[in-house]
Amino acid sequence: MNIKKDKVGEFLVLKIKGRIDTIHSADLEREVNQLFAGGEQHLIFNCEGMNYISSSGLRVFLVAQKKAKAINGKLFLCEMQPAIQEIFRISGFSNLFKIFTTQEDALQNQ
Amino acid sequence: MGNNKNKRFVIENQIGELSSLADKIDELAEEWELSPALAMNMNLVIEEAVSNIIFYAFNDDNKHEIRISISLENSSLTIKIIDDGIPFNPLAQQQPNITLPAEERPVGGLGIFLISQIMDEMNYDRIKNENILTLLKTI
Repeated sequence: MNIKKDKVGEFLVLKIKGRIDTIHSADLEREVNQLFAGGEQHLIFNCEGMNYISSSGLRVFLVAQKKAKAINGKLFLCEMQPAIQEIFRISGFSNLFKIFTTQEDALQNQ
Repeated sequence: MGNNKNKRFVIENQIGELSSLADKIDELAEEWELSPALAMNMNLVIEEAVSNIIFYAFNDDNKHEIRISISLENSSLTIKIIDDGIPFNPLAQQQPNITLPAEERPVGGLGIFLISQIMDEMNYDRIKNENILTLLKTI
């Protein structure tokens, strides 16, 4: 897994590449925790390069959403591959996040 | 003849084993010409079941083997996962309430639920000192 960060307006965009599995989800969680601790309030996860997620990865997104909501932050997801979208759907996670087709859409829905 | 394919993996109860196992499952999916989406789902259900076993099945510090067999007979995919840990029936676990809002959703408890959603059938047997989880899906 690899994460690239980019500040765009009020958002911190995280481009996630690779697998968010039992082994790698802790790295993503650490990264997200550091961003919130550093004062970031609004996050966009660009999931274009994310090709795998398991329950441990879903858990990280849920924890991030809880933290964002607690500080009135926005947490958007975008550019998700269909197989990953399906995992979000069957776990009920599609209802917990705003999921946009493109990063541009996510940025405009401020 | 022809349409029956079988593969068996044996791993130790170490979480680091999951990485090489995932690579092997991807290779197998390629060899059997399965779609990337199915390869992902196979990897997912095996990761969920095996990580549960590694985290919760053993209350000693000994090495244990976890045996995974995957077979494809025409369009029937069978995944069997066997461990010698404490008895654990995943079918008896409470299903998460997936309609709760984020603030109220408990973190965790999703792994077995995902397996049950992805696969068509999930069976559990305790035979002698072993847990045997059998997962079936028509592809």
